[in-house]
Amino acid sequence: MRIVACTEGSFGKLEPFSLEMIAAARGAGVAGDEVVAFFAGQELEPAIANLGAADRLVAASAGNAELIAAESYARLLRDTVAAEEPDLVLVPYSANGLDVAGDLAARTGWPLVSYVNEIRRDGDRLTVVAQVYGGKILAECSVPLPAILMVNPGAFAEAERRSVDPSKLQHSDATAVVAEGKVRLVGVDVPSYDSVDLTTAERIVCVGRGIGDEASIDIARGLADILGAEIAGSRPVVDSGWLPKVRQVGKSGQKVKPKLYLALGVSGAPEHLEGMSKSDLIIAVNTDPKAPIFNVAHFGATCDLFDLVANLSERLQAASGR
Amino acid sequence: MKILVVLRMIPDSAGELELTSDGRGIDREWLDFQLNDFDDHALEEAILLKEAVGATVVAVAIGEGSNRVLQMAVARGADEAVALEAEGDGIIESRAIASSIVALARSKAADLVLCGVQSTEDLFGQLVPYAGTLLGWPHVSGSSRLGIEGSALRVTQERGGGIAATYEIALPAVIGVQTASKAPRYVSGSKLREASKTAIGKAPSEPAGFERSAEIVALRLPGQRGTGENLGDNPENVAERLASILAAKGFAGV
Ligand SMILES: Cc1cc2nc3c(=O)[nH]c(=O)nc-3n(C[C@H](O)[C@H](O)[C@H](O)COP(=O)(O)OP(=O)(O)OC[C@H]3O[C@@H](n4cnc5c(N)ncnc54)[C@H](O)[C@@H]3O)c2cc1C
Ligand SMILES: Nc1ncnc2c1ncn2[C@@H]1O[C@H](COP(=O)(O)O)[C@@H](O)[C@H]1O
Repeated sequence: MRIVACTEGSFGKLEPFSLEMIAAARGAGVAGDEVVAFFAGQELEPAIANLGAADRLVAASAGNAELIAAESYARLLRDTVAAEEPDLVLVPYSANGLDVAGDLAARTGWPLVSYVNEIRRDGDRLTVVAQVYGGKILAECSVPLPAILMVNPGAFAEAERRSVDPSKLQHSDATAVVAEGKVRLVGVDVPSYDSVDLTTAERIVCVGRGIGDEASIDIARGLADILGAEIAGSRPVVDSGWLPKVRQVGKSGQKVKPKLYLALGVSGAPEHLEGMSKSDLIIAVNTDPKAPIFNVAHFGATCDLFDLVANLSERLQAASGR
Repeated sequence: MKILVVLRMIPDSAGELELTSDGRGIDREWLDFQLNDFDDHALEEAILLKEAVGATVVAVAIGEGSNRVLQMAVARGADEAVALEAEGDGIIESRAIASSIVALARSKAADLVLCGVQSTEDLFGQLVPYAGTLLGWPHVSGSSRLGIEGSALRVTQERGGGIAATYEIALPAVIGVQTASKAPRYVSGSKLREASKTAIGKAPSEPAGFERSAEIVALRLPGQRGTGENLGDNPENVAERLASILAAKGFAGV
């Protein structure tokens, strides 16, 4: 079987989930299968320097695309799929992947399963496990080949980083494809970390929608201050404007790995877990005992977060005032 | 400009989800259905565009409780409401409803289709790329801001790490909204009552354009993955334990 593993990178860096796609491809196949890494972006160096665990690298460089639009990426991938005739295409569940996987499925008619965590070969089919309902349910699916899978970042370990042998690299220039696209890049915003950089914070108190309203954020902030922690939020909290964007943890926010992560009223959707599940110590408080945050928490409590914060703040303050 | 906005009704995943006896579906009998969060943002973005540059907004809803949500959409500013008949009462499969959305986009002569970036039921792929590809229109998922610049659409798309890319697209297009430019507005009871008189159109479902992607063998609840310890639900006990855990690990008293 031949497997195309899609990878991504920008601003001189490869997305770490690219290496997970290679590992997922290796795990999905059997010995003798061929894993072809696919990359499209402005600079090829990060791909060439890291994707050697694949058998080959098919790479398209677009000097005119700081952040290549999914439209162009999808078209380049389509050409690669037509040429390589793979049995399986793995696409990361990323902003780009959301558009790319469906686009390829719609054009090929091939099956697509999204949010995949596990892949097993089952004769001439695959058995995959995917997450639905915000991670509360796992769906085991039987998929005929050829197929496309959109794979969750974090579900597979990274393949070893090593450079691609020049004889295994097939390179093309995608400048014209990008220029012809209907989706034109006009600007890129990179957040300013002047106020806070959560990726280097050692302690984080994160509030989810369970906090209820903006005023209640102060209650959590009080606890964060006592703990010497930074305050952070899940997406709905940031979307509501209760905390600034630089304080969002997760897929489209910051990927953090603090020594302490205290989650208050966060359900633990896959997109949130992607940003924090590697924290050293995770403590979660959530009234719903089935909340997926408890699948990654080292300590979990199912009491009301307000009761807990009041109680805990008081205790910690008393202890430090000793 | 004519905007078609897609509103999917999905089970409230904050509630209890129970499996059916064959293990292949979730028991829908006592489920609360609510508007897909991202679709709520898509609706808001449609209304914001209408207010900014003028547009006709057609809201199409799918699934249990559609009428109620369509009335809410009209109260918020939608001009027309259509309920799409869905097949059966299982998962709303994007792959299956895409052709119905495409047919509606064509019959309503829409220039812009807005959907939520995904729903928690998009197991077999997202509606946006399916609809966009079937229509032959460009599509972008994960927008956090939309605007009209001359005759083109400006879309800000969220990437990882808080980075945002802004793209310009000639219409027609399909956009998967992640966050509206402003938080979804509240509507007053009087507006809702007024909107409850709105005539709701019906649209038949079109045959799915694709083969079913895969067969669901079984659904299951995830087992507790980590070796996490449950501290219980009594706040005083939990606080006491946490205080000592935090102290033991050197996090308290800084
Ligand atoms: C492409 C993409 C990127 C994303 N990126 C991120 C990201 O970077 N970070 C992130 O966190 N998420 C991200 N998400 C969103 C993610 O899927 C979840 O929606 C989000 O993490 C949920 O946040 P939460 O746990 O705070 O809220 P949830 O608890 O999941 O949802 C809110 C629920 O709260 C209930 N509720 C309201 N008030 C109360 C109350 N007083 N008491 C009890 N219950 C109440 C409501 O019934 C509602 O169902 C992303 C999604 C997508 C599609
Ligand atoms: N007061 C609270 N204390 C603890 N957990 C909560 C509280 N309110 C909500 N939650 C949980 O936090 C998550 C997000 O909150 P919400 O979305 O508001 O329900 C959900 O999984 C809730 O079960």
